[in-house]
This record gives sequence, structure tokens and C-alpha cells, in this order.
Amino acid sequence: MKGNGIQGISGAVRWLLQAVSGLLLIALLGVHMIANHYIAAGGLRTYEEVVAYLSHPVVLAWEVIFLIIVTFHAVLGVRSVLYDLGPSPHTQQWIDRLVGLAGIGAVLYGLWLLWAIT
Amino acid sequence: MSEQKVTFRVFRYKQGDTAPHYDTFTVTVNERTTVLEALQAIRRDQDGTLVIRHSCHHASCGTCGMRVNGKEVLACVTNVLELGTPTVTVEPLQNAPLISDLVVDMGPFYETFSQAHLPFVRRSEYLPDAEVAEGVPFHMRFESCIECGLCVSACPVVASDAEYLGPAALAAVWRVVQEPRGTEVPPLLDWVNSEHGCWRCHVALECSEVCPSNVDPGGNIMALRQELVRRALGLSHG
Amino acid sequence: MLQETRALHPVRRRGWKGWFAVRKRHLGYVAFALNRLTGLGLVLYLIIHLVVLSMLARGPETWDAFIELAKSPAFLLLDVILLAGILFHGLNGLRVILVGLGIGVHRHKELFWGLMLLAAILFIFGAWGFLVV
Repeated sequence: MKGNGIQGISGAVRWLLQAVSGLLLIALLGVHMIANHYIAAGGLRTYEEVVAYLSHPVVLAWEVIFLIIVTFHAVLGVRSVLYDLGPSPHTQQWIDRLVGLAGIGAVLYGLWLLWAIT
Repeated sequence: MSEQKVTFRVFRYKQGDTAPHYDTFTVTVNERTTVLEALQAIRRDQDGTLVIRHSCHHASCGTCGMRVNGKEVLACVTNVLELGTPTVTVEPLQNAPLISDLVVDMGPFYETFSQAHLPFVRRSEYLPDAEVAEGVPFHMRFESCIECGLCVSACPVVASDAEYLGPAALAAVWRVVQEPRGTEVPPLLDWVNSEHGCWRCHVALECSEVCPSNVDPGGNIMALRQELVRRALGLSHG
Repeated sequence: MLQETRALHPVRRRGWKGWFAVRKRHLGYVAFALNRLTGLGLVLYLIIHLVVLSMLARGPETWDAFIELAKSPAFLLLDVILLAGILFHGLNGLRVILVGLGIGVHRHKELFWGLMLLAAILFIFGAWGFLVV
């Protein structure tokens, strides 16, 4: 029954990855929220402030890691919800392709955006 | 014994019907009347076409599972007046083929469940100090699961995924892993480590809430999950 | 034989609506339904958030104009709802992980309420930060 891609790894590993990414998100999202909406004056940053904030390499790295992990967690989560609908093996393959592409697309778009403004 | 009248709103469906409907019956009950007895009274005195299934009347056979006021129960041990509602709604189990009225086809359930190869009896863990008769190695008892299917009816994932192995079969596999009694464990672990195996469970744990026999299917699925994670990390052998 | 009976009899299955059929169900079921709802909501938010951030690429005028709009009460209310969703999903998710690892399987309700107490405290502080500061 084992296929390629996301299906190729065992359910146990997939569950662990979702759990670990979830745990990481508690930290990553916590800092993301505090930095962007609480420390920033007025809860939101102006363009200039966004650029200044992202100019710090640690901040940039943190936001890149956050982008990757949050997308990964969302992709696995949506996949799981769709699999709960009992799709046929053929549909399962399409689900994997679509959520995989959406995830890669979201990360590439985010990286481009960071590159464009820094 | 004080008697009182209770209204029963009973799910009705016959082969060929385009849609199910509900019939209402009034039954005189006392404080000891069970839902199963009330349904038998309806069948005997009011409508002989009402189809129900039962056998033992004491929560051992698992054949009278149904939904009473929206909850999965064994009708034989569900007291009518203790429900505390003036109208009692009775429906068949969900997520199973409907044969007639309150009776569903348990075939698919048994088909999946039997793949776990769970023996009927286990070594008893009760009264460890009890004396054992000569010539008997140890006390035995039946496995807890009575195969009533309440957990499968209550599970939100079975509601949407017909391929999901479901709480009863997964719990049975964990029992075999715990105490293999000659059964090969690795193929069973592979079976439940599949897309529609134990990873589809999302910890609603309603199975354990409705189980009438203390199987704790949800807890067993979590134990299975731990075992598979341990094996994936190379922490468990065997 | 089985195949024949299966074809004959209709299966009463609620489908995805069953995920949210919480009437008469217990705490774990409700937590699952809310986890699913908040999870899907957060995915939707993530998509919207990424699309909105594209305004950054269009320069300071576009972004700063949007920021002014985002400080309006309607947006702040959405932020408060978002915060509630994040806290529920994150802390309930922690419970799901712990229970999956065999921690608190039979105390999962107490675990839930403990984590929700933490969520409520963080929510009050967080919402206060959004609305007042």
C-alpha cells in the first residue's frame, strides 16, 4: 500500500512530524505574534518598520523558519481532513499532489516576498 | 411499583422505502422497565412489524445496540425512566447498512473486526490470589469487547470515512499486541499503520464514552499509536 | 453474500457533518470538532494573511494605507477571534499530542480544562493588548 511522496513515509512518522511541527509552532507563532503585534507600536508595523525589523538576520531566519513550519503543518492538516472524507486511492494521490504543490507554492511565494522587501 | 406512560418516537424504515420516518407509541412503564422491554411491548401489543434485535437481556451479547435520545446504548440495560425525558427517541446505529427499523447489518463490522484475530478468551487479571483448581493452569475470562458496534456508530471519523478501520477493530489489535496468544503481531501492526488505520483517529474519544463493556477503544488506539511511534523511532523491538 | 447485502441496504453515514454533530456528545468530541473548525479557519487565515502581505511588495503607500485600515475596530475584532482560534488550536493540540503519547489518556478532560484555563488567561492578556495598548 506504500506509495511515493507523503504516502511513502509511515503513518507514525507523519503523525510525529505533525506533532513536532505543532509544538514548534507554539514557540514560532508565539514570538511572531508578540514581535509583530505587541512590541510593534500600535500593534502593526508601517512599511519602514517592517523593513527595519526584517533587516536583522536572526529575525529574518526566524520568520523564514516560521513560514516553512506553519505551511508544513497546514498542508499535513488539510491532507488529514481530506483523507477523513474517505477518498479513493486515486483521489488520495491527487490530494497529495495538490496540497504538496500548494505548500511549496506558499513557501516560495513567502521567500520571494521577503526577498522583495529586504 | 408506580406506573407511568412514556412516549416512544421510533425510527422506522423498510426495504424499498424512499426515506425513513418516525412512529410514535405510548407505553406504560415502571421504574424497572428497560428500553428493550418497552420496544418488545410495542412489538407485542401495538405494532407487530417493528423489527428489533436482541438476545441475552444482560449486556453480554451486544446485539441490542441502538441510539436512544441520540446516544449509543445497549437497550437491554437502559432504564426508561432514568433517561428523564417525556419522549424517548429510538434510532438504529449509524455508519452501518440499515436492514429494517432498528436493525442494522453487522456484517461489514464483523468482517473488519475479525481481521484483528482477537481470541474470545484471555487470561483473567481479576482476583490474582484466587486459588486455581487442579489441572487448570490459570483463570480465564472472555475478552471485554462484545462486538456491539456502539463505538463505530459514535465515531466522527467513521461517519465520513467508510474505509477507516474504526475503534473496535483497532482496540482488538491492541489487545492482540498486548497478549498475542500465538498470533503474528507485525502484520497486524502494518494493517493498522495504514492511511485508514489508527492515524485517522483524532482523539474525540467518544468510543470510550459509549463502550458498555470497558474496552476503552480510544485508550487502546492511543496505546497502539505509542507502540507504532516507538517502532518508527527504533525504540521497540519484537 | 456480504457484497450483495451491502448493495441492498443504505448506510446511514453523516459524512463531514458528523464531525460537527456534537449534540449529546462528550468533551473529547466537542474538542475534536472545535480543533477541526479552528484548524480550517487558521488555514484560511494563513492564505488571506499571505495574500495581504503581497501589498508589501507594492511599496510603502499601499502598505501604510492598509495598516491604517487594519487599525479599525472591525479588523481588531477579527484579530481577537483569530487569537481565540490560535490559542484553542495550539493548546488543545498540545493535549492531542500528549494523549497520543500516552500522557493523560484517562485524564484528558482535566488536561483539557487545565489548558483551556491557560488559553483563557492568555486570551485576556492578548485581547487586552490588541484592544487597549
